[in-house]
Amino acid sequence: MATSVVKRLYQQRKVLRIMVQRDLKVRYAQSFLGYIWTILDPLLMSMIYFVVFSLIFQRGGYGLQPYILFLLTGMLPWQWFNGAVTEGSRALQAEAKLIRSTRLPRELWVLRVVMSKGLEYVFSLPILLGFGVVFFIRGEIEPNWRLVLLPVGMAIQFVLLLGVGLLLSPILVLVNDMNRIIRIVLRMFFYATPIIYTLDRAPGVLQTILWFNPMTGILEFYRSGFFPVPMQLPPILISVSVTLGLLFLGRLVFKRLEPTVLKEI
Amino acid sequence: MAANPKPVISADDIGIEFFRSRKRNLSIREIIFKRRMSHPRETFWGLRNISFDIHAGDAVGLVGANGGGKSTLLRVIAGVLLPDEGKVTVRKGVAPLIELTGGFLGDLTARENIYLTAGLHGLTHDQVDERFDEIVDFAGPQVRDGLDMPFRHFSSGMKVRLGFSVVTTLDEPIILVDEVLAVGDKAFKEKCYARMEALLSDNRTLFLVSHSQGDLKRFCTRGLYLKSGELVGDGPMNDVLKQYSQDNR
Repeated sequence: MATSVVKRLYQQRKVLRIMVQRDLKVRYAQSFLGYIWTILDPLLMSMIYFVVFSLIFQRGGYGLQPYILFLLTGMLPWQWFNGAVTEGSRALQAEAKLIRSTRLPRELWVLRVVMSKGLEYVFSLPILLGFGVVFFIRGEIEPNWRLVLLPVGMAIQFVLLLGVGLLLSPILVLVNDMNRIIRIVLRMFFYATPIIYTLDRAPGVLQTILWFNPMTGILEFYRSGFFPVPMQLPPILISVSVTLGLLFLGRLVFKRLEPTVLKEI
Repeated sequence: MAANPKPVISADDIGIEFFRSRKRNLSIREIIFKRRMSHPRETFWGLRNISFDIHAGDAVGLVGANGGGKSTLLRVIAGVLLPDEGKVTVRKGVAPLIELTGGFLGDLTARENIYLTAGLHGLTHDQVDERFDEIVDFAGPQVRDGLDMPFRHFSSGMKVRLGFSVVTTLDEPIILVDEVLAVGDKAFKEKCYARMEALLSDNRTLFLVSHSQGDLKRFCTRGLYLKSGELVGDGPMNDVLKQYSQDNR
């Protein structure tokens, strides 16, 4: 079963490419300006937190130093997470017309959103590396070999988002109010993810709870190359398990609800 | 047919269950864990106990009153609805002429839409290049003049014409037609007829839903008669049409 879906999706890779290309074209239609829009949000949010915590509260120690780099390493992948969950959960609803008229595997629409948003993240990486280079030249950071773990984090996040999208997209077709719930939960998740603070800032029990947020472990992969602190194993292991669990659950729910979704769409 | 004994479409006891009210208060928990709904009275079977085999080159006409399940059956074969019971096996590619304009996007130009829709149905960019003129010619001069106009400025007739033109240019061996011939002006209708006859002589398999006896007699050799979701007639087109008109006397 599982292999047959993968095979069918692979057979449709051409269509997938067309769709992703179209997404990016729409996104970057005005060439450079389009690009600025996609990175403006995380960049501005990072600046806000930087100003609030570093300049107004004047207390370091919420995150690692340099704080702005710390913020960006969390904010950029969060942008991917946020965008892919918001749009991925709407994937079936948004493409209702295409779903009614083509026999493409329905998982494709979720996969396409996760990929498009993922590519936007990849395109935002030069900004991160730019900041890294600046701080490196100024001698404020010492990057290490763990920079190569960045793609590992991306791979886990990709699978995670796919699982979440498969889980939520059919539910969203059938339950009208789900949209609002997702928006609220996402905002809560932002603060439940160590983006503007480090994990060890949270007191004991809370820290353990945060381990179960799969993004916690994923951020370890993104950050460890820039910051010389040891990687925390428990959240990483939990992250991988939760990710695989969500993919499994997502596929199960998607398969179960697919006939009903097709009748309703 | 002796050379290829496997039917291109086989329906094996398929059934599909709908809710009477379209939007319903759905308990997600229920549907995941039980699969069956707890209020069976509120549902009805759109199709039930349908079995048939269609062989390559068959031209099948679907007849039946409104709500009989014709379009539902077509959508099940097209793979855009999944049956709750039984199984439908489609062994060749399908070109569905259902919701013709479904794949088109209003903001893109007609030109971009042709590439996009044909791409969604599996044609490569080069293949579309090759057929581009053929597609546009068939859709008519109005469409040609508006090629670089956003698709949403097209009239509904132009939209359908372009949709028909793209989908019938696909190489798929099975063609499903859902009453699309009813739209379009007289001249375009004639073109559609010619195109369908060309496709049929090319040994494609045709599935046609229509209320027009003339169309059915012209294209179809075999008829299927659906009544309240059940298959009550399957035989030569003329016999099935006779049965249908006797029923509705």
